[in-house]
Amino acid sequence: MSGKPLRIPAGLVSAVVALLIWQIATTWGPLAGSSVPTATSTLAELWNMLFMSETWDSIWQTIQMALYGFLIAVAIAIPVGILIGLSRFAFISTKFTFDFFKVIPPIVIIPITILVFGPTLQMGVFLVVFAIVFALAIQTAYGVRDADPVLIETMRCYGMGKTKQVLYARLPAASPYIAIGIRISVSAAMIVAVVAGLVGGAPGLGHDLLLTETNGQNSATFAIVLILGILGLAVSRLVVFLQRRFIFWTAS
Amino acid sequence: MRLLNSRIIRFIVGIWLPILLIWWWWTWSADSVDPFFPPLSAIWEQFKFNWIWQYVPIHVVPSLRNLFAGYFIGIFAGVTLGALLGASPRVSRYFEPVIDFLRSIPPVATVPVFILFFGLDAQMRIAAVAVAACFPTLLSTMQGFRATDPTLLDTGKVFRLTPFQMMWKVRVPNASPIIWSGLQVSLQIAFVVTIASEILGSGFGIGAFTTISIDSFMILDAWTGVVLLGLLGFALNIIFDLVERWSLRWYIGQKKLAS
Amino acid sequence: MATAISVNGVSMEYKTPKGTTHVLDNVSYEVQDGHFVSIVGPSGVGKTTLLRLLTGLARPTAGEILVRGKKISSSPDDLAVVLQDYTRSLMPWLNVEKNIALPLKNQNLSKAERKERIKASLAEVGLEGAESKYPWQLSGGMQQRVSIARALAVRPSILVMDEPFASVDAQTRFDLEDLVLKVRDDFGITTLMVTHDIDEAVYLSDEIVVLHGKPAKVRDVVKVDIPFPRSQMETRNDQRFAELRTQVYGMVRGLE
Ligand SMILES: Nc1ncnc2c1ncn2[C@@H]1O[C@H](COP(=O)(O)OP(=O)(O)OP(=O)(O)O)[C@@H](O)[C@H]1O
Ligand SMILES: [Mg+2]
Repeated sequence: MSGKPLRIPAGLVSAVVALLIWQIATTWGPLAGSSVPTATSTLAELWNMLFMSETWDSIWQTIQMALYGFLIAVAIAIPVGILIGLSRFAFISTKFTFDFFKVIPPIVIIPITILVFGPTLQMGVFLVVFAIVFALAIQTAYGVRDADPVLIETMRCYGMGKTKQVLYARLPAASPYIAIGIRISVSAAMIVAVVAGLVGGAPGLGHDLLLTETNGQNSATFAIVLILGILGLAVSRLVVFLQRRFIFWTAS
Repeated sequence: MRLLNSRIIRFIVGIWLPILLIWWWWTWSADSVDPFFPPLSAIWEQFKFNWIWQYVPIHVVPSLRNLFAGYFIGIFAGVTLGALLGASPRVSRYFEPVIDFLRSIPPVATVPVFILFFGLDAQMRIAAVAVAACFPTLLSTMQGFRATDPTLLDTGKVFRLTPFQMMWKVRVPNASPIIWSGLQVSLQIAFVVTIASEILGSGFGIGAFTTISIDSFMILDAWTGVVLLGLLGFALNIIFDLVERWSLRWYIGQKKLAS
Repeated sequence: MATAISVNGVSMEYKTPKGTTHVLDNVSYEVQDGHFVSIVGPSGVGKTTLLRLLTGLARPTAGEILVRGKKISSSPDDLAVVLQDYTRSLMPWLNVEKNIALPLKNQNLSKAERKERIKASLAEVGLEGAESKYPWQLSGGMQQRVSIARALAVRPSILVMDEPFASVDAQTRFDLEDLVLKVRDDFGITTLMVTHDIDEAVYLSDEIVVLHGKPAKVRDVVKVDIPFPRSQMETRNDQRFAELRTQVYGMVRGLE
């Protein structure tokens, strides 16, 4: 506990040192005169961008793609995962297929989605769904299958039906798995929403990144990267916070 | 349901759905006139023409070279830094916030930054892949080192193991289950960043081939690129799983026994 | 007879965020060469702490420890240890042979000699042919025997053990006790053992050191005048055995 009060200074110190190194490297160091902007010009640009509505529009578009995609994926993956998890036949039948799509990164199918959707918000949403739905379904199914067999057997002995077994044994067993799956999914959703913009041309921060890079607005490119870092950090902290708050029974 | 305990039956049950899906795609697209969804048979013909082996030297070889060069540089750096930071919590407290921030940046978003550093050549791609691949391994190595069982360290000390033995015979193997999971994430990220660097950097590589095909309306070619990348991504994961399982067989055996 | 270990006025304090815990206070004791000495005392009194000091895993806040006349600063050569928690002191990623081989790597042995040593010490603990097994494939008693074999393989002149038989079943425990006695006879090893079990201490030892108090001091040293060789059946029914254990029991509880 005594480490607590030291934590914030340590973070501050390292952040300041990192910025200093960056500044020195780009003013007098090996990167002086290169296309890499200085820390001060990047921070100044970042400050400017905070007062432009376009920046906030882009942030909102990126969040929208991530959020809608995430919600759709959860709405599909959790029921499907539970159904698959309830039957061993269904589990084995779908495992190979789901595993296949789970490990295919969405960037692979971006060319196809460009054909189908064009560079739109829908494309981003679709990619987010594709990126997380399979992994989340598998994770849920694993959780459902992890229910204590003794508990299930006991419930059966007391004449409890399938529905009760699902409600009182299978879902509680699955919920820590689902919680982890959701935590991973949220981060993945943000990342994919950015990739959709950067590589696929969907609107949002990813697209801005590409535009500033091709236009040679180097400070802006770096500023957007900083925004992405802050956003990513904020989102993962938020999810951890919400899960601690509302799902207190999942330790860790 | 007993039947499902047999390996062969399990394999057959596992394979019917993929076969059905491919069959369905094949028949559904057989007389497709939609230019975006050409018949699977045509994609297959074009796939053979492109990738066996005509374009392999100019597109597949550079893709794989950048991927592996970047990946191995990245995980080497990740394990080394992670080991140093994980073994000294006092030092790592200062690095952690910066690392935490850097890893929150979507890996692909760093590609434009690397283009600024290095321009559009292979060096840029390898550097981008290496940096992106470094972080998951770095974090998992740190975590694994921190969790070293003090009893094992004591054992090493009382038997007067050398620092080298402490590192490679005690700390690294002890952390290896966690390190391996980081290595896998690193590989997946390396793959994505390789493709992204090709698409954004243009020129050569499977990713570049696919985007150029889209831009010039060679839809069939684009499809073969997508299929090839999908298969490659899947194959990389399978190979990784095999290597991991072989090297962690002590851990898997132990866990099986415990459950 | 020469002194193997001397503990001179050792005190130990743990500094924690909540303050200092004074665990050992001015402990002095000498272990004679070739003797079997047990350390007993109530739980939490500081037995493990004393062993950690002896094996160089921790440093005393005052006093010094000499092993064969030399003040120790790190883990002394010539001393092998069996730690309290055997399930975690064998490396789960190494098989039995490699676990035993690990500390041998730094002794100048040829590969063949090393193999021979491993084989001999496994035979000593009755685990012939277990070389290629992993620790987790063995029962608790077998794992404990492996960690004893690992200690024996370095051919130490001093063997230090922290509750080595605490979590094995009664039968295995008797076997391991006799094994330790046999090993001492075969190699003339000076042995220092921490135990909770007073019967065990009386059965095995030449001398029993009783720690007591907070901070702990050496309350008493009991000489066990039961002749060797001892046997589980007879010694434990011996009149003298009963007297000694009652005496030690009283000391540990702080009754006398
Ligand atoms: N690393 C440590 N930091 C702070 N206090 C410690 C530490 N290790 C042990 N202690 C304290 O020192 C005292 C003695 O502990 P020790 O482990 O030596 O007892 P023990 O006699 O071996 O007990 P047991 O018979 O239960 O194994 C205890 O009160 C314990 O809480
Ligand atoms: Mg103890």
